[in-house]
Amino acid sequence: MTPLSILIIGAGKLGRETGQRLTDAGHKLTFVEKEHESAAKAKEIFGDHVFFGDGCDPKVLERAGVSNIQVIIAATGDDEDNLIIAELAHHIFNIPCVLTRVNRPENQWLFTAHRGVDTAFCPVATTADLIKAEIDKHAKEIQG
Amino acid sequence: MHIIIIGCGRVGARLASLLSSSGHSVVVIDKNPEAFERLEPSFKGKTIEGVGFDRKTLLDAGIERADALAAVTNGDNSNIVVASIAAQDFHVPRVVARINDPVRAEIFPKLGITTISSTLWTSGRIFEYLISPELHNVFSVGSAGVQLYEFEVQPVLVDRNVKDLNVSNEIRVVAITREGVGFIPVLGSVFKRRDRVLVAVDTRSIDKLRAMLGLTN
Repeated sequence: MTPLSILIIGAGKLGRETGQRLTDAGHKLTFVEKEHESAAKAKEIFGDHVFFGDGCDPKVLERAGVSNIQVIIAATGDDEDNLIIAELAHHIFNIPCVLTRVNRPENQWLFTAHRGVDTAFCPVATTADLIKAEIDKHAKEIQG
Repeated sequence: MHIIIIGCGRVGARLASLLSSSGHSVVVIDKNPEAFERLEPSFKGKTIEGVGFDRKTLLDAGIERADALAAVTNGDNSNIVVASIAAQDFHVPRVVARINDPVRAEIFPKLGITTISSTLWTSGRIFEYLISPELHNVFSVGSAGVQLYEFEVQPVLVDRNVKDLNVSNEIRVVAITREGVGFIPVLGSVFKRRDRVLVAVDTRSIDKLRAMLGLTN
């Protein structure tokens, strides 16, 4: 497998965990994070590949080397920011693959292809679905 | 017209009051209900407490029959997102987003979102007042990327050719008023004393225009 150059915007828990797995799989990771605390935690793991700044600012993305990136993951805790990042990634920087996190399930309808989103992930909705499926599966045994 | 305004800060409240008093049907949305206290007592429109990009909030505001929408919260990203929803998902005919960040104000028009940048516009006006009182700003095009200025012909230009003032992509003479009569000059037209000239200028080239007019300090 040829390693991919992947940029993650938002180095919170989800961004770091995803980055760790992708690094272990041999991919080349870069991060952009606007909060000092999260940036510091990410630097402990990913070193110089962490850039401090607002990922919605095209100049910050350029500083992080966006022109050589193949995959962007917009993983901030702010849905407006993730949508703006997807628009910039797809329409301005022509990134082949744009993945986004959706924080509020009621915002899922906004994360569409015409806004530059290839695939959107909503951890809250996904986890809730898994919990419900688990309960459905075991409902009978639980009732005894 | 039925007009939706997102954000009831100073700009939103003022805009809502202006539109309401000119007889339009206005709905203002803000996540903070206290913001509606900024509206003038004469405001006849509707207020909705909510987030501007919630589908239900927008439907309650009548976005399906809206003629126009202005996203004027203090968050650039929310304004861009709401404007894109209004234009792309609900096909509202006239949509504008207020953008503070000049970089984003220049990028998003390329993606079909009309932006008004208070930062670019205000700094442009203040710049002119301080530096170029001889140039009278008539109109700002788009997010103030291009300005229309009017000025009286300076001695340096008398008997010079109109094409001497045109600079490709930067400066173009649009019209001349001579003895009260306006006309569109050809490249061979010659400036006369007391002509009033209307010129379109890229905002970044104002200094160049001033230099060509002999207005440098």
